Amino acid sequence: MKRYVCITGAAGGLGKAFVAECASRGWDLFLTDICEAPLQALAQGTERMYNVKVLTYVADLTDPASRAALWDHVRRMGLRFHMLVNVAGIDFEGSFDDRRVEELQTILRLNVENTVEMTRRVLCYRDPARALHIINVSSLAGFYPMPLKAVYAASKRFLLDLSIALNRELRAGGVTVTALCPAGMPTTSDCIEKIAVQGFMGQVTTMNVGQVARKTVRAALRGRAVVIPGAINRTLRFLGGLFPPSFVAYLVNRRWSSSRARLAHEVVEVRTPESLTEGVS
Amino acid sequence: MMQKSDLEGKTIVVTGATSGIGRAAAIALAARGAFVIGVGRSTQRCEETRAAILAEHPEARVDFCLADLGSQRQVRALAAAIRARIAAAGGDKLDVLVNNAGSVSNWYKATEDGYELQFAVNHLAPFLLTHELLPLLRSAPAARVVTVSSASHYRTRMHWADVMYRHAYNCLAAYKQSKLANVLFTAEFNRRIGSRTRICAYAADPGLVNTQIGLKGTGGLVRWVWDRRRGHGVSPAQGAETAVFLASDPEVALSRGFYWKDCEPKMPSRYARNAAHAARLWALSERLCGVTWPDAGADAVRPMVSGPAPALLR
Repeated sequence: MKRYVCITGAAGGLGKAFVAECASRGWDLFLTDICEAPLQALAQGTERMYNVKVLTYVADLTDPASRAALWDHVRRMGLRFHMLVNVAGIDFEGSFDDRRVEELQTILRLNVENTVEMTRRVLCYRDPARALHIINVSSLAGFYPMPLKAVYAASKRFLLDLSIALNRELRAGGVTVTALCPAGMPTTSDCIEKIAVQGFMGQVTTMNVGQVARKTVRAALRGRAVVIPGAINRTLRFLGGLFPPSFVAYLVNRRWSSSRARLAHEVVEVRTPESLTEGVS
Repeated sequence: MMQKSDLEGKTIVVTGATSGIGRAAAIALAARGAFVIGVGRSTQRCEETRAAILAEHPEARVDFCLADLGSQRQVRALAAAIRARIAAAGGDKLDVLVNNAGSVSNWYKATEDGYELQFAVNHLAPFLLTHELLPLLRSAPAARVVTVSSASHYRTRMHWADVMYRHAYNCLAAYKQSKLANVLFTAEFNRRIGSRTRICAYAADPGLVNTQIGLKGTGGLVRWVWDRRRGHGVSPAQGAETAVFLASDPEVALSRGFYWKDCEPKMPSRYARNAAHAARLWALSERLCGVTWPDAGADAVRPMVSGPAPALLR
């Protein structure tokens, strides 16, 4: 029986880095994304480059029916997984009162509801004879209350705590759960522009996405609960922990507000016209 | 150098034609009467370049195609669009393909196909586009494939263990490798295809040119250094001279050289002349693009129609 690595949001910047990392280890892949054409191109390119088997399934993971169809497909194909990488995530531009209710619901559906469901369901399709590694893409934003990204940061906080708790709870059954908490990553020219706008801090908190994927997969294989790529990001995380959350929120608010004044955007990847994205800042 | 209209009847494709060297080359070639099909990524910049050429040379024949060369889907679609444009203009051949488009990125970025951006745009795109346009090139009496390389190809080697630089990405190293790949591709093309057809491949070394290539997609130190260095470079029009010369001058075919700088043949690096490395890159590129070039048996030289003798590159 062939075992696969399931990667959601595979055609996004971080998703592609995980695809390359897993494929370079000779693992066969089951990829899902909302955009069909890039997903097919990625699957074909990956098969050519790494000589592994790549299956694809186009799904809108914000939609429960689409998720049900995905798992139905998995069941019918008789797939078994030894790794799940939950990359699919979303944020929208703008402050809380600028966002429509539907947008806020979409953030919760994709970042929270979908990740919980994927994590639960993959347990039914693991190979009992082998360890199962789950990677949830949280964010450095998950450590702090983040004004101007309040719902997004809270959803990432949810993933962080979920991963730490499940990593402990499921370990006896041979399942590890790892939260990846990256800062902004230069995955699209849009992101690169926004990182440049953040100036020095944007430069030093930014990491090579290929290395991030490599380190994260290694950490997941060792069963680590949390991965924060980059020494400066770890320092920021440490310093953030020394102050009360309300003070960190004050600082973040000041910093984001001044960045936003320079460019009315945040560092987040938005790929599809409908703003439904499977990449994460 | 400029004989007006000496390129009348020639069809020339120039990629990356909306800025820098490509734009200057497109202008120079169109001014001399060639039918120029430029390739760019932005509708607006294509329109702007087209208008600029026509303003200067009202009788020029220029057309533009849109494509992001980082996507193999789009490279294939581009080849189809070029075929359609040439057919629509009543032509049936492509005389020159100028593979000029290049890209620099400060960070590791994967293309849609999952390949590193600079390797994909600077090397795989010319490889695939040339392959896709081969039938049109073979219909021309003495076709040329001019790939804009760089002196960056000296003092570097192929990073075979990790061609995509996924693990230890370095902007400059990846750029240098992609420019070395241009020279290896050119040499191998001449060995495999040029020796059996009337198509010749050349690599052009533009020297240090004041363009924005190092400013798009970079930041910090790389951007700063590039910005300082480019100030010492020549203008894009001067930088385009060698590429334009290789695309147009009949004398070129008399030389055995395939790497040219300042309109003179020049010795590329020893690594770039190594046939084993070139063959290895060729095989890898075929695999990554999912193509197989016509092999020797199926590909006899067609009878000459007109035009100068095939270049003496054997």
